[in-house]
Amino acid sequence: MAQFYKRLPRFQYLLPKTLEEALSFLKEHKEAARLFAGGTDLIPQLKKREVDIPRYLVDLKGIPGLDSIAFDEKAGLKIGPLATINAIKDSPYVRDHYPSLFQAASSMASPQVRNRGTFAGNICSAVPSADSAPALLALEASVRLLGQKGEREVPMDKFFIGPRKTVLEAGEMLLEIKVSRPKPGSRNVYLKLSPRHSMDLAIVGVAVAATCDGGVCKDIKIALGAVAPTPIRVPAAEKILEGNRITPEIIEEASQNAAAQCSPIDDHRASLEYRRDMVYILARRALNNVLTK
Amino acid sequence: MEQIKLTVNGKEYELQVRPWATLLEVIRDDLGLTGAKEGCGEGECGACTVIMDGKAVNSCIVLAVEANGRQITTIEGLAEGDRLHPVQEAFLEMGGMQCGFCTPGMILSTKVLLDGNKNPTDEEIRKGLEGNFCRCTGYTKIFESVKAAAQKIRR
Amino acid sequence: MKEYTVIGQRVPRIDGKAKVMGQAKYAADYSLPGMLFSKVARLPVAHAKILNVDTSKAERLPGVKAVVTAKDFNGWTWGFMANTRDEPPLAMDKVRYYMEAVAGVAAIDEDIAEEACDLIKVDYEELPSVFDPEEAIQEGAPVIHNYRPNNVSVEYHWNFGDVEKAFAESHLVREDRFRTSRATKGYLEPPASLAWYDPAGYITVWAAKQSPYFHYRHLAACFNLPLSKIRVIQPYIGGGFGGTKNDSVAGDFCAVMLSKMTGKPVKFVYTQEEELTVSKRRHSMIVYNKMGMSKDGLITAIQSRVIADGGGYTAVSPLTMYLTGCCTPLPYKLPNYKYDCYRAFTNNPICAAMRGHGVTHTRFACEIQMEMMAEELGIDPVEIRMRNAIDNPKPGEIYRTINDMTLKTCGIKEAIQTLVKDPLWAEKGKGPKQDGSVSYGVGMAATSYLGGARQLGHQSCAATVRICEDGTVNLITGATDCGQGSDTVLAMIAAEELGVRYQDIDFKMVDSAYTPVDAGSYGSRVTVLAGQAVQIAAADAKKQLLAILGSEWKVNPEELEIKNAEVYNKSNPTRRIPFERLAKIACYSGSGAVIIGKGYSGYGIEPLDFENGRGNSGTSFSFTAQTTRAGVDLETGHVTVSDFVIAHDCGRPLNPIGAESQNEGGAVQGMGQAIYEDFIMDSGRTLNSTFLDYKMPRSTDVPDIKVIDIITDDPSGPFGAKEASEGSHVSAPPSVVAAIHDATGIWFKEQPVTPEKIVKGLKEKGKWPGK
Repeated sequence: MAQFYKRLPRFQYLLPKTLEEALSFLKEHKEAARLFAGGTDLIPQLKKREVDIPRYLVDLKGIPGLDSIAFDEKAGLKIGPLATINAIKDSPYVRDHYPSLFQAASSMASPQVRNRGTFAGNICSAVPSADSAPALLALEASVRLLGQKGEREVPMDKFFIGPRKTVLEAGEMLLEIKVSRPKPGSRNVYLKLSPRHSMDLAIVGVAVAATCDGGVCKDIKIALGAVAPTPIRVPAAEKILEGNRITPEIIEEASQNAAAQCSPIDDHRASLEYRRDMVYILARRALNNVLTK
Repeated sequence: MEQIKLTVNGKEYELQVRPWATLLEVIRDDLGLTGAKEGCGEGECGACTVIMDGKAVNSCIVLAVEANGRQITTIEGLAEGDRLHPVQEAFLEMGGMQCGFCTPGMILSTKVLLDGNKNPTDEEIRKGLEGNFCRCTGYTKIFESVKAAAQKIRR
Repeated sequence: MKEYTVIGQRVPRIDGKAKVMGQAKYAADYSLPGMLFSKVARLPVAHAKILNVDTSKAERLPGVKAVVTAKDFNGWTWGFMANTRDEPPLAMDKVRYYMEAVAGVAAIDEDIAEEACDLIKVDYEELPSVFDPEEAIQEGAPVIHNYRPNNVSVEYHWNFGDVEKAFAESHLVREDRFRTSRATKGYLEPPASLAWYDPAGYITVWAAKQSPYFHYRHLAACFNLPLSKIRVIQPYIGGGFGGTKNDSVAGDFCAVMLSKMTGKPVKFVYTQEEELTVSKRRHSMIVYNKMGMSKDGLITAIQSRVIADGGGYTAVSPLTMYLTGCCTPLPYKLPNYKYDCYRAFTNNPICAAMRGHGVTHTRFACEIQMEMMAEELGIDPVEIRMRNAIDNPKPGEIYRTINDMTLKTCGIKEAIQTLVKDPLWAEKGKGPKQDGSVSYGVGMAATSYLGGARQLGHQSCAATVRICEDGTVNLITGATDCGQGSDTVLAMIAAEELGVRYQDIDFKMVDSAYTPVDAGSYGSRVTVLAGQAVQIAAADAKKQLLAILGSEWKVNPEELEIKNAEVYNKSNPTRRIPFERLAKIACYSGSGAVIIGKGYSGYGIEPLDFENGRGNSGTSFSFTAQTTRAGVDLETGHVTVSDFVIAHDCGRPLNPIGAESQNEGGAVQGMGQAIYEDFIMDSGRTLNSTFLDYKMPRSTDVPDIKVIDIITDDPSGPFGAKEASEGSHVSAPPSVVAAIHDATGIWFKEQPVTPEKIVKGLKEKGKWPGK
């Protein structure tokens, strides 16, 4: 019979002290082991029995050095897997160079959740509405993954495969989020739409990163969240703008194109039609914000 | 069972806990500190808020084992004997509560907010408390309590 | 100008210190040695015949001490009225809503209790189901309760005057369909109880109940014990708002039965998701409203036909449907009125009471429709209200509505005028109407709400005031504070009447072994009724004390007065002693007297007339007018409510901090229903039963709120008091929707008015700036 669970299901807890130890746990226990950092997504899921119950929960927080947020003018920004959302939000590097990441972080959940949750966890959970994802996509971020076969780097736009599915293989973990240094004169923004003013999942999320020079769009990346099976880039809309003089008409065209590119669902949070309309509205706002102000 | 050491309200505890026990359950059931409440059990309402190593967290989604070695402050740790903390005094004087279920969490979030910002704007107060849900008061007297507490602390 | 010592002072809540220290104990905070944990097992089907419940595996699980199913309750059912006792503690022959309770387990810990529930097997046969209330009452719909073969759970037909004639003679008549949202109380504390069944034949529970005595009666009936052996101890309550915590839930009955079976104390605590999925929620109603007006905008007649979604059982709905109709003749004069209502059984979760009970649905419809008609007639929102509003009766006079409700005071006109002068309304034309894509609007609404409600035959309300020898005072009532602040206001009343200081009073929470019976916190009755009882009890204690002192001092007791904890001779005020001294004299005089003042509320309003809708629904009525300012983003439909101004006539706010806070909270809760809150259903399943998706206002959503008191000093209530804040809860939704209309030009008739509905509405009118 059914019930409403109050307690978490039974599992064992492992606290590796090094990356090697963590990887060996994953190798040994395979699907029976789940990694976690902040747990703000995983713990509620386990409580509601929404996912398979792992036999082992592997806590990464015992491994030193994984919570750093580093920036240098050449390499750009490097976010460790344990860097919390609040740490990212409060980082002067983020505020100074990546306002869209600051906006995404500020829009997520509550101070309590932001003190525990991580961007790494947010993108690995891969919900279509994940707030960090559109901003990272538009900034052309990439992730460093560490697995049984060693390291590999995957660009953000190849990272998501489907709802709650990423390219992470069995026994693989996210080691670092890399965002290249912003191009001179570039701007970026993340806009989120939801019914209330806090504590909502995005109905629509739009991120834009672009560089303009003398009224001409030199470089542009547009990303959408919550309106497709994964967070997506919309290259067709980008092409409308790239290399062209910025006018209200061209922004209009690109915004409409972005709306046409997405494939939202009808669910209890919003209808397909509303989401599509809002992609158009938010894209227009984001593009105006970055290209014209 | 896992062995953990917690410092709660300045006192050290050595406990045996189940790996799947939450910090909230251990604080309430093992330590008898029932000020932290379970409102939603999934980190949405903030009724379970405690301060862990200086930061406000939802104890209902923190495993007890994750709190091993950490410093926890619960609502019971704010007053010094009979002397209330300025935030508690402010909530009492301004009437920043009705049923009181959200109050421990609300007071701790307020304390953390004011620890970091002695003169928050209205906007900063609202945003600082967005993780603490209240159904009774409409938040108005809670905001007034926060401002009164800030004034007390600044003095 | 009345001068009171305690009444009207801004005092801290009497339980405030306990709450800010985290020392206030709620039901889930209690423990007893040897305690077991219980859990309720449920069937995830909306309508099914139960063929077999197999608990054998659960019973054999180590750590499980007992399992309970429907057969253990011997067919006992309960309900609000003698002929609506259709609800069993655990489903017997059928389940009628998704996740209805079928079994209960007690185990040595919660993990094992949950594991045991997973092991219970139910064989069932799914039945055709119905979820739309209008469909449910059609011929051929699946029958949910055999005793109501047409699925009409409650039905009333009232008729006052001649609406047909009035409509025929009206200058303007409108007919509209309105819908109120599927909302719920949203309290933070889920239902919980610790139960102990003493084998000697006593039941003790620490239960999260805002009306403990309802539960007390349920337990006596269910377990066949005399009331004298039922002890309901009320802990602090984490919010009530009507519905569930003045009723009993499956977990309650299971915990007591399991305690009986095991000989151990048993605790249950629901989860919030459980609460949001299965607990009694507010009815959602469809209101077909017809209103007539003269050329000058005077209301000639209202005809309301209401279809309510009742869910799987009757609960308190005979009262709900009565309250939905009875207050329509307030706050405006109404000469002709017809009310037909049908409350349908459906396979949705049970719908019952919630703040603003009943009135909120029809007041929403009438306020919006009235403004729509005013717009057609070219009359502004203030003028239409002032022309129709009921005047404040002169002292000694009463106003009688067409359905024989009587008012001694009515501050609605003063409330409206106060709002007109307040800058929110007065300056609404100044400043830009639009800022970028955001359009601003200001809206107004007005309402009345009853206080001092009674149910059939259950009005009891008493108090005792016990003087301790040191001059401090114990106040004992059957009234429950579920957060609204009644303990504080009752202590203030006692202090004022007795002449002592607020801090001299200690309030004792309900314990049915020692406190007098009381119907509890519902229908805004505590301040007015328990307050009257307290006032009488305090006066009684005072009389006894002064009689003793009079004899000591050899003066007529009428010459003596008590104020600020000092007793003095009125004609010779220099002769005074501290109250503490008086208490000692009284308590030690002769063989030692025990000074206990007792009082009960003598309000004998006639039993509610459900069938005809005639007569008073409460002892007095509050009046509230509210203005709202909101910004609507015309591109996204996103609404930001920035300001509320609430002018409320509660007679006299005895506890100003409490009355303000209640008005603020009530209005915000109403705003939630207006724009955010709605259970989204899919074949009886609630899709959004979490705080993430059942969206209630957070700190970043609430407006700045100003509360203005309109003093009318109603003679019915203690120190002039009437109810406070169910009014603002009812005025908020139409006020917010009127503001949205002012911002968009569109009247929305379905709650909640979501961003998506706004964009759709703008598109339909060709006003969406999107394309």
